[in-house]
Amino acid sequence: MTCKLIRSIAAVLLAVLLACPVFAGENPDGGTENLVAFLNALGKKVSDFKTLKTDFTQEKEMAMFKDKLVLKGRIYLEKPNKVAWHVDSPLRYSVLITDKLIRQWDEDTNQVQEISLTKNPIFQNVLNQLTVWFSGDYSSLIEGNAVRIVKRDPLEIEFLPLEKNITKKVIKSITITFRDDQKYLRQIRILEQSGDITTIHFTNTRLNAPLDKSDFEVKGHV
Amino acid sequence: MFDRLFAFLFQLIHNQKRLVIGSVLVLTIAAGIGLFFIRYEGNIDLMLPPDPEVSRSINFLRDSSLSDKIIVSLALTDPTKSKKDLFLAADELAASLRPPLFTKVLSGFSVADVMEEFSLLQYAPQVLDKEDLDSINKDITAPRVSERLGAIYRQSLRPESIFMSSLSRTDPLNIKMLILAKLRALPASMGYDVAIEEGHFISRDGRHAMLIIQTPVPVMDGQRSKELVTELENRLHELPGYVKADMVGGHLHTVSNERVMKRDIKVASAIASIAFLLLFIIVFRDARALFVFVIPLIAVAWAIIIATCIEGRLSYLVIGFGTAIAGISIDYGLLVYIAMKRGADAAQTVKLAKLVSIDALTTMFSFAVLYLSMIRGYHQLALFSVLCVAICLMLSLFVLPLLLSWKQYAIVSDPTIGDRLKSFRWPTKLSVVLWALLTLCAFVLSFSIRFDSDVKKLDGSEPAVLQAEQRFHEVWGGKTNQAILVVQGATYEEAMEKNDIVYREAARAIGAGNISSLALFWPSEKTRKDNSEQWDRFWREGREEKLKRLINGASSAYGFSDRAFTPFFDGLYLHDVNEENPNGVIARLQERFVLRKNDSVSILSFFPDEQKPFEALKDIADKHQGAFIVSGRAMSSSISDFTSKEMRILAPAAILFNVVLAWLFFRNWTETFISLVPLLTGVVWLTGLMAFFKMPLNVVNVIAAIITTGVIVDYGLGMTYEYRYNLRIGTVMAVTLSAVTNVIGAGALLFAGHPALHSTAVAMVICMVSGYLSSIIVVPSLCSILGATKNGGH
Repeated sequence: MTCKLIRSIAAVLLAVLLACPVFAGENPDGGTENLVAFLNALGKKVSDFKTLKTDFTQEKEMAMFKDKLVLKGRIYLEKPNKVAWHVDSPLRYSVLITDKLIRQWDEDTNQVQEISLTKNPIFQNVLNQLTVWFSGDYSSLIEGNAVRIVKRDPLEIEFLPLEKNITKKVIKSITITFRDDQKYLRQIRILEQSGDITTIHFTNTRLNAPLDKSDFEVKGHV
Repeated sequence: MFDRLFAFLFQLIHNQKRLVIGSVLVLTIAAGIGLFFIRYEGNIDLMLPPDPEVSRSINFLRDSSLSDKIIVSLALTDPTKSKKDLFLAADELAASLRPPLFTKVLSGFSVADVMEEFSLLQYAPQVLDKEDLDSINKDITAPRVSERLGAIYRQSLRPESIFMSSLSRTDPLNIKMLILAKLRALPASMGYDVAIEEGHFISRDGRHAMLIIQTPVPVMDGQRSKELVTELENRLHELPGYVKADMVGGHLHTVSNERVMKRDIKVASAIASIAFLLLFIIVFRDARALFVFVIPLIAVAWAIIIATCIEGRLSYLVIGFGTAIAGISIDYGLLVYIAMKRGADAAQTVKLAKLVSIDALTTMFSFAVLYLSMIRGYHQLALFSVLCVAICLMLSLFVLPLLLSWKQYAIVSDPTIGDRLKSFRWPTKLSVVLWALLTLCAFVLSFSIRFDSDVKKLDGSEPAVLQAEQRFHEVWGGKTNQAILVVQGATYEEAMEKNDIVYREAARAIGAGNISSLALFWPSEKTRKDNSEQWDRFWREGREEKLKRLINGASSAYGFSDRAFTPFFDGLYLHDVNEENPNGVIARLQERFVLRKNDSVSILSFFPDEQKPFEALKDIADKHQGAFIVSGRAMSSSISDFTSKEMRILAPAAILFNVVLAWLFFRNWTETFISLVPLLTGVVWLTGLMAFFKMPLNVVNVIAAIITTGVIVDYGLGMTYEYRYNLRIGTVMAVTLSAVTNVIGAGALLFAGHPALHSTAVAMVICMVSGYLSSIIVVPSLCSILGATKNGGH
């Protein structure tokens, strides 16, 4: 009797949990088609730039470290597929990501390392994910994630990777918060399956700002 | 004896004219109907020697599923389309390929699956061997641990750390690099330059996807291969406009070869038929001459049916020789027809029958010599040809005269036919000297003749098939052929254990990077168990505590917490040894590396098919029972050696038969020598001219040459007989017409697109033309030099 009851409760709970990505939270009109249209419109608004320059602060609450790890730095992005990520503190580090390779440098080793992306499928997948978050192509995420709108003002959207999505192995959820004008992100919060949390705050974001060649250089730039 | 027997049979058949002609007609109609139900063999296997190494390799390849695959390369042709569109098209195509023709389609494998199945602490203890543990041991020192923690800290500053930093908690020593080094051999084992993205095989340029399609259709099955290729082509037509497909696989060669051969045979038969018809209409202007033309066709039809009943399916190559054999077999009818047209009397008819019979016998013996060969295809060819010649001889000697002597439509007699040709005299001495000089030159040249044992060059696939392969290799690489090191055992585990031992020796001999083996990333259960126990001992011998101590000492510099690497230490001894996921990556790898038959299991390892690694691994394979190598290069070399050995027996045997038969016919060495001049000329000029034009001999044209010797020896016998005995039965005319028809029959194959048929035609035409010229120019001259003719004719 007790077993049956537990099983019934578990079934109901499971049904509720499974339904969550679709019905929980606030959708524009409750329908997936409208959600796609909404994300498309939002993506168009967010991705309406050729270049991007922004400062960021990344906070990592990781079981691996005693204290919260706080990184400060800058991101330069040039569409379609060029991203430079410079960390200024606590350790100087730069990485350039293109569609073919990544080139990185850090002050500890003072060595430039170049890696072919095609020979590193896992790395490539990770960077593809990052590029999607930064560039605003959110409608493409519908296929691999359950999506829900958490808040309207400021706009906050949560992405829960589906079983078929490779990121499900590592990521529990990704929540993005938009600026008031909804033209770019204010914050990305990533909750890992391990319980680690990474939050990236974007400040001084400038869209279509002119970029120097040196912004994409890694060694000695910082 | 011959005279009496011939006279008796001739009279007997003559008395049963209607019955005999009626029976021939009924049998021919039955054979004609039977031809529609006969299936032929399209593969070249029949023509390969039964050398143990070659047979084992061929059998292995046939039993393996290695060749029962078609690979499709999909290319994006529209620059505005992305990989996503390409993957979608690949997935849709894969979904549309269903049984029974397509059993499995592999378009890639998920990186997520690999990560899950190869989780470090489950996988590493099983596959890392002593050498790997020694390498880990070197990292358990204060400076190395500090260096590693620094690297993990720096990694946590990088963008990818969002997804990857938690992985470092289970791998403080970067043990995954040792595993990745092993896994790198995975795509290499396919022999292609493949990357994996979003669970799909993708080319380095990111514009091509690959599907590996498994089919139950054997690559040698022509009919089903045709169905398979047609079905796949239909599915490829459904691809979106921005995707172009190239197919690669043995089935395409089978279908294309069969198509080319059928087309060639049709064209050759049409050319030969028209040429024969024109020849008879222009030369004879007698409708009855058509019977001479019809006899070889009847003989070919009967021979196909009888040979199929005895041998089973005949090879297309054997049937391809049909037109040439039709040309050869027409001689007997010609001789009979011309003799009858000249009004030969009874005595001349018996002599004619003797000549025709000895001609047919020499030809049959030339073919019968092929029975001394160990190649099954040659036996088929011998049987078919002997039957064809024997039937033609019987029909020419006994049925043709009945048709020509039909009272209502009597033969138009012409006692002078061929006289002008016979009366033409070449300058005697000049002819002989010139012939001797040219033959000497050819003889010298013939020492540089080359034998090409590469059977791939006999592949007559159409350009579209070869172009698709070229495009495929440009995108995916894989031009270097791979050889296979096979290790067999009665059970899977036995084979795996043997394979582990052989692999270790092989890796030492040619370098681990040059051989792709299952032993590298999934050894036998015993080895995995040993490795696991070794792993446990390794850490329990104080290394676990030492590493913990070193990590604690270095952690504070980077701010690592006390429990930073707890997942690694907690999972250190929790590995499973026997856990295998039947749908996992290991199971898929086994499809590539493991071949199960009813009574044995073979484990395959792949290495470049080059001389050095082959020799090194051959020595190793020879030392281990149940281990052997399958190498295309080695097979080619074995075929070359085998064919050379066989030729050393077949060629002298064919010549010996001809000499003996010629001597039995003439009972005189001088006449025997003169009659063999065309044979000598044909063989020497063939090898000399082919060497001069840098054309190699191969397994097919060598046989064509042997067959042709049986024909040209007839010219010598006939001409010597005519001139020495002054027979006046029109032999010169008959030999000329025979040569023309033979050259038409073989020459029609010069238009063949299939290299095997074309090289056959080249050999036969050279041999026949040189043999004929020497028979009408040199033989009469030599007869003249020898003096007065003997009494034999009138």
